[in-house]
Amino acid sequence: MKILIVEDEVDLLVTISNYLIRENYVCELADNFQKADEKLAIYEYDIILLDITLPGGSGLDLLKTIKKQQINSGVIILSAKNSLDDKINGLDLGADDYITKPFQLSELNSRIKAVLRRRHFDGTHILTCMELSIDTAGKSVTIGSNEIILTPKEYDILLFLVINKNRVLTKEAIADHLWADNIDMADNFDFIYTHLNNIRKKIKLAGGNDYIKTIYGMGYKFSER
Amino acid sequence: MKFLNKVNRSFLILLTSVLLVSSVAGYFILRYIILDETKESLVEKENLLRKQIVETGEIPNLYPVMEVKELNRLTQRSPEFRMIMIQDDDEDELDPYLEYSNQIKIGDSFYSIKLRQSTFENEDLVIIIAFSLFIILAVAFGILFFISKQTNKTSWVDFEQNLKAIEEFNFSEAGKIELLESGIEEFDRLNRVILTLTEKLKADYLSLKEFTENASHEIQTPLSATLLNLDEVLQQNLNEEAFKKTHAAINAMKRLSMLNQSLILLTKIENKQFKAEKALSFNDILNRKLQEFATLFESKKLNVGLTLEEDLVLKMNDQLADLLLNNLLSNAINHNLEGGSILLVIRKNELKICNDGATNSLTDETIFNRFVKGNSKSYGLGLAIVKNICDTHNLEIHYTKNKLHCFTITKKL
Repeated sequence: MKILIVEDEVDLLVTISNYLIRENYVCELADNFQKADEKLAIYEYDIILLDITLPGGSGLDLLKTIKKQQINSGVIILSAKNSLDDKINGLDLGADDYITKPFQLSELNSRIKAVLRRRHFDGTHILTCMELSIDTAGKSVTIGSNEIILTPKEYDILLFLVINKNRVLTKEAIADHLWADNIDMADNFDFIYTHLNNIRKKIKLAGGNDYIKTIYGMGYKFSER
Repeated sequence: MKFLNKVNRSFLILLTSVLLVSSVAGYFILRYIILDETKESLVEKENLLRKQIVETGEIPNLYPVMEVKELNRLTQRSPEFRMIMIQDDDEDELDPYLEYSNQIKIGDSFYSIKLRQSTFENEDLVIIIAFSLFIILAVAFGILFFISKQTNKTSWVDFEQNLKAIEEFNFSEAGKIELLESGIEEFDRLNRVILTLTEKLKADYLSLKEFTENASHEIQTPLSATLLNLDEVLQQNLNEEAFKKTHAAINAMKRLSMLNQSLILLTKIENKQFKAEKALSFNDILNRKLQEFATLFESKKLNVGLTLEEDLVLKMNDQLADLLLNNLLSNAINHNLEGGSILLVIRKNELKICNDGATNSLTDETIFNRFVKGNSKSYGLGLAIVKNICDTHNLEIHYTKNKLHCFTITKKL
């Protein structure tokens, strides 16, 4: 999977690419409009992460070029502006998703995976991890022949954990993934604990092992080891 | 009161008082002048009479206008005028007369002279003249009033239109304000002042908008970098202490970012940068929100009561409508008690959200101010945003506390 990251903040660019390389993506970097434009003219990418505010031009203009030249690329807009105009314009111009800074890498990964799934780059909509098999089209989870019946929220949490396996996800990161940014949940994260307990029980009942680790009561990790 | 009505009203009051004062004054002045004339003519007659007595020796008598008597001696020093009433035999009524009495000496004889003139006709004359004066003035004033009203009306038409253009002017829209030239110096001067003022304000507004957007961008980017790096730190095999500290740092950073976003949002709402494109059914949105929030209600074991009597339709940006309900519902959950209840009511032009909660929390309308928080965990901006949305959408919001804490949003009519 080849990803082009267009972001003018070098710190951010490096952190994102380091992470994505570890997740086995091939990354190309561009920190201004010109570089991005050149790369887009030469190479093809599966996913393009696109910042709107760039030195030398607007990311929205790049988006227009992408939609003309690389119809197979999935585009995720990274924006710090949180401006609705950008969001609407971006999505109108054909971006697949929109993520507002600051975001967490686990959330970005989840969005990339979702875009890839939607565009069927994986060739399949079945995600397997250890004995778990997740059908992202039918939103169902099975272990062998046993189907695990999950509520929609439980399914979302499990998918989020599996996509970000071996990574610590804080309660807040999970809550952010489940709800829109602007819901002020104060400190009411107990329900996440409840959901995770239910997921664990259901997996055990279906004959699976418990791969979900609790990290000091503040985070969770789907651990293959 | 409209300016024209005000002007017309004071004009009318002035005209009426001038009319009344001048007619009354006219009446008295005329009366005085005529009386004076009458006195003069009586004195004139006395001279004629005196001449006649000297020349002919006759003593003329013509009741009631002339009475002459011979006297033995003078009893009166100087001539006198007085008003008297005399019986009119023909009409059997009392008529007013002005009487001139004098005692004179001609040769060796003394005479008492009483000359009278009826003032009855004078009185009539005065009234007739005063009345005519009143009529003429009234007609003249009426015409004047009507003409000035018409000219005022036409010269204010342009002004009214300009006022409307100014009212409808929105800084966030491109384009200049269009004002009509009326050819009236004061109005045109006002137009020029408004044009330069709006140009300046618009420039300020744009630079402020740019600043907030840039500030937000500049703050969010380092925040993003910090958060991403801290998240990476979290992935190392940290001991509990280090994990806790990193986690706390992440949460503090997130809080900062949320605050930044909320403040920018408040500014945007105040600047009316959210366009309301269509009318939204709040019943639909509320139903959708309830599904979204279901898990959150469950986790606190809240009982949710929903009453939809009539659809509430408001013209509002859909993102803002979402935000409004998100904030109110989050508020109702966060301040609720474990196992408490939430009541949602939509009535005609009214949305009400009530929740159980601690009795010692905030109890007045300061609850809508920025950074006023009931518990220290919230940001203290949620309700400020709600209030802002209401203020900019012709809605009123009130907070009341009886057994339940209630927020009531009503449409201003």
